[in-house]
Amino acid sequence: MQDFRNRLLIATMILGLAFLVLGSRLWYLQVLRGDEFAEFSLENHIRVERIPAPRGRILDRYGKELVVNRTSFDVYVIPKDVKDVAHISSFFSQILNLDKNHIDNNIRSALTKRSFKPVLVAKDINRDQLAYIEARRSSLPGVIIEIHNLRQYPHGSLGASFLGYIGKVSEAELKSNPKINNNDLVGKTGVEKGWESNLRGDDGYKQKVTDALGREVESTLFLEDLQNKKSMPGNDVLLTIDIELQKAAEEILGDQSGAIVAVNVNSGEILALASKPSFNPADFIKGIDSKTWSDLVNDKTSPLLNRATQGLYAPGSVFKMVPSTAALNEGFIDHEEYIHCPGYYKVGNSTFRCWKRGGHGWVNLRGAIVKSCDVYFYKIAERMGIDKLSKYIRAFGFGSVTGIGIEEKAGISPSREWKLRRFNKPWYKGETIVSAIGQGYVSVTPTQVAMMTSAVANGGTLLKPAIVKEIISYSGEKKFKHTPIVSGKIPIEIEMLELIKDALVGVVNDPGGTGRAARIKDMTVAGKTGTAQVVSLDLQSDQKKHRDHAWFTSYAPAEDPEIAVTVLIEHGGKGSSVAAPIARKILEVYKTLKEERGADDNV
Amino acid sequence: MIMFDRRLLKNFGWSLFLMTLVFSFISLLNLYSASYETGLVSFKRQFVWVGIGIVTLVSVSFLNYRFFKQYVPYIYGGAILLLLFVLFFGKEVAGSKSWIDVASLATIQPSELVKIAIILVLAKFYDDDYQVGPYGFLDLIKPIILIAIPLVLVMLQPDLGTALTIMLLSGSIVLFMGVKKWSVAFILIAIIGVSFYSWHYSLKPYQKDRISTFINPSSDPLNAGYNSIQSQIAVGSGGIIGKGLRSGSQTQLRFIPAQQTDFAFSVLAEEWGFLGSIFLLLLYFMIVLWMLDTSSRAKDKFSMLVSFGIAAMFFWHVVVNVGMVIGLLPVAGVPLLIFSYGGSSTLTAMIGIGIVLGIRMRKFSMSAEPIELR
Repeated sequence: MQDFRNRLLIATMILGLAFLVLGSRLWYLQVLRGDEFAEFSLENHIRVERIPAPRGRILDRYGKELVVNRTSFDVYVIPKDVKDVAHISSFFSQILNLDKNHIDNNIRSALTKRSFKPVLVAKDINRDQLAYIEARRSSLPGVIIEIHNLRQYPHGSLGASFLGYIGKVSEAELKSNPKINNNDLVGKTGVEKGWESNLRGDDGYKQKVTDALGREVESTLFLEDLQNKKSMPGNDVLLTIDIELQKAAEEILGDQSGAIVAVNVNSGEILALASKPSFNPADFIKGIDSKTWSDLVNDKTSPLLNRATQGLYAPGSVFKMVPSTAALNEGFIDHEEYIHCPGYYKVGNSTFRCWKRGGHGWVNLRGAIVKSCDVYFYKIAERMGIDKLSKYIRAFGFGSVTGIGIEEKAGISPSREWKLRRFNKPWYKGETIVSAIGQGYVSVTPTQVAMMTSAVANGGTLLKPAIVKEIISYSGEKKFKHTPIVSGKIPIEIEMLELIKDALVGVVNDPGGTGRAARIKDMTVAGKTGTAQVVSLDLQSDQKKHRDHAWFTSYAPAEDPEIAVTVLIEHGGKGSSVAAPIARKILEVYKTLKEERGADDNV
Repeated sequence: MIMFDRRLLKNFGWSLFLMTLVFSFISLLNLYSASYETGLVSFKRQFVWVGIGIVTLVSVSFLNYRFFKQYVPYIYGGAILLLLFVLFFGKEVAGSKSWIDVASLATIQPSELVKIAIILVLAKFYDDDYQVGPYGFLDLIKPIILIAIPLVLVMLQPDLGTALTIMLLSGSIVLFMGVKKWSVAFILIAIIGVSFYSWHYSLKPYQKDRISTFINPSSDPLNAGYNSIQSQIAVGSGGIIGKGLRSGSQTQLRFIPAQQTDFAFSVLAEEWGFLGSIFLLLLYFMIVLWMLDTSSRAKDKFSMLVSFGIAAMFFWHVVVNVGMVIGLLPVAGVPLLIFSYGGSSTLTAMIGIGIVLGIRMRKFSMSAEPIELR
């Protein structure tokens, strides 16, 4: 028996040892690592549900809505809560006009997998459908309606070219901003992109208790673990755009390809920025479908191109303000000096023609600008040389971006260095000659031309164009207010500039002026026409693509300039007959609006 | 048959009985919490089972063990028949044919009850055998056959967890009685051989998964390792004092698998913390100790071995189950006796305790002639 007692003693020791091991493990898990495991258990059962914040609105300078949000009602069903799948499928197929079998299959296949996860039936149903479903909610278990915010454009495609569109966030955008979530919609172009950080709201979240299957638990269990955060809508962006002027500009452009820029010459605030053809931003609100997208991208008329800031064109004669300024300020010409225009100009073996075959005869600076004589400018260009000329081209802001804040092109300000860099070739005299009349390598955007015009109008200050006037937070706090930013000073004596300005008045108002089509009642308009050759004169034909680009740039009132209007019509023909009348209409609308709004307006 | 004697009442093992009652109470409380979210169905059933169990316990304790000593062959035979019955007519649950429907009122799992029969038959074998140990391999053929028949039947169901506990508890008895060294070596080699064979040819994929997951639980956190990880999170997050009754998120939100049965201990550990789980372990320790003490005081080989066998059964259930719950051992379907939900395992535990109580009550030999222990 003693033998067995010994063995029982051993058994007891094994028992003690085993319990010691179990106890130590419990000590390790519960006492030493208890806090760590407590965290795990929290993570386990708390699901964070994001509450997306609405994007800020985009308004015009008077607070009129250009881009707003609307709620979209999306229908989901939770398969496990659906009593009669066949019934609910036929119900939805009837009222939402959907394929019954498709809904049925979706619900049934989810039933076998994740029956507690909502299945999408339809996005963005209309109010009538919503009311119909809501009225029958009690007899439709498992149906849930989720609310989302979608961009809405009360004026359709108005301003689409600068407002831009939104789209699914890209990999790079996700990395650069930790606040953005996968599948979020962000600004892809225009103001939507440029002011993304202001427009984007601060998403909130709601924590929910879920069980091991991921189902939301309705009971009050573990409520003390939960945290919630309200979403904060994005800031409203108040543009400098005047919606009425914008409407007028887009209506006048109509089906023509081109751009209109209207800008306050004293503040640089853009009042209208039209580009046609354009696109419908509403196509992008839920993420664009690939068919519509590829149609837009492959469209030969480039509807996604903002011609006002990204379109590059030879400026033609509107450019003549630049050599005029250069030649006067550098002393290469006296405004009284007359130069003879026989209709052509010879440099070495080359002959450069004036647009007027018969020539303008003897013209001084004023006459040359008013009648847009090319030979006069060939001559002064030859006197100056390219180095002096390109200094002034740069001074007017050409060849560099304006800093407007949306997509734009810098264009080309030709110079010896530029040509060497670009083509590894020396500069030829003939290239200086054509540069003076805005042909050759010179390439500019309509916005740059508008800013040049503003600089002439306001007495020599090149301003940075602004498209955003104010940024206002959801609570009404002003986050930003635009003040004019000077990009540079045009190097010219004020008296000399007055000579050019007087000539620009003559363009519109003198009997032989090229811009007479821009005259309006009770307001003196100053301006300059331009007809930019697309191909050399010899190659010109009746084909539309060979037709000249029509330009007109202007400011008014000439005595105390307020607004500059630049018009470009692609392959429109002559600036004097095509672009000038359009500028006139814009200025008339501006004048009418100003009178309606009263003198105290801050335009 | 039942020889009632006032001394019986006097010698009744009140402490073990009391511990059993406390245990039953804790198990019901725990089950109440674990099944609250699902409508207390299993709590109510277990309440009935505990009642039946305690009545059975008391009844069994009043049976003279000498009585069932002579009926052991019949008990054993009956158990084998039940196992055969379950193989042919059993109800399949989760891939194992282990249950019998009793008039659709309850389902019982004969493989649990078989453990008692095996303990009894081994005790009877050694009691009848007057050989002086340690036993050689040839001497062990008979007990090994006695163990192997029910073991194979259980494996055919297949019920890996019960087979494991049968092996452990019968192995404990065989070792306790002494085995020659080279026999131990032989048996070990045989076990390794069988394991090797099983791993490659007969284990089901889910069983292999469980073992490989045990070695590295986080390798597959959503599938095979899920149970182990969730259970450890539950235990660990309980901390020192626990989250409180019905306040364990792991339990209430059903992150713990089989929380009413095999993982009932995780529920306790989560809601009552280190203090609660250590208290329960100590209670188990006391019960097994009490059984071993009964064994050491037994007046004959049969009762000594039966007490030891039942102690071993409790011991291995605790080690394998708690070891699994706290991530020390692989996940095997072994319930925690008198703690997990389940009629058959509760009944088995209660019968076991009843037998030990009966032996304890009769430690003061009532028979005229003293029992010759070798």
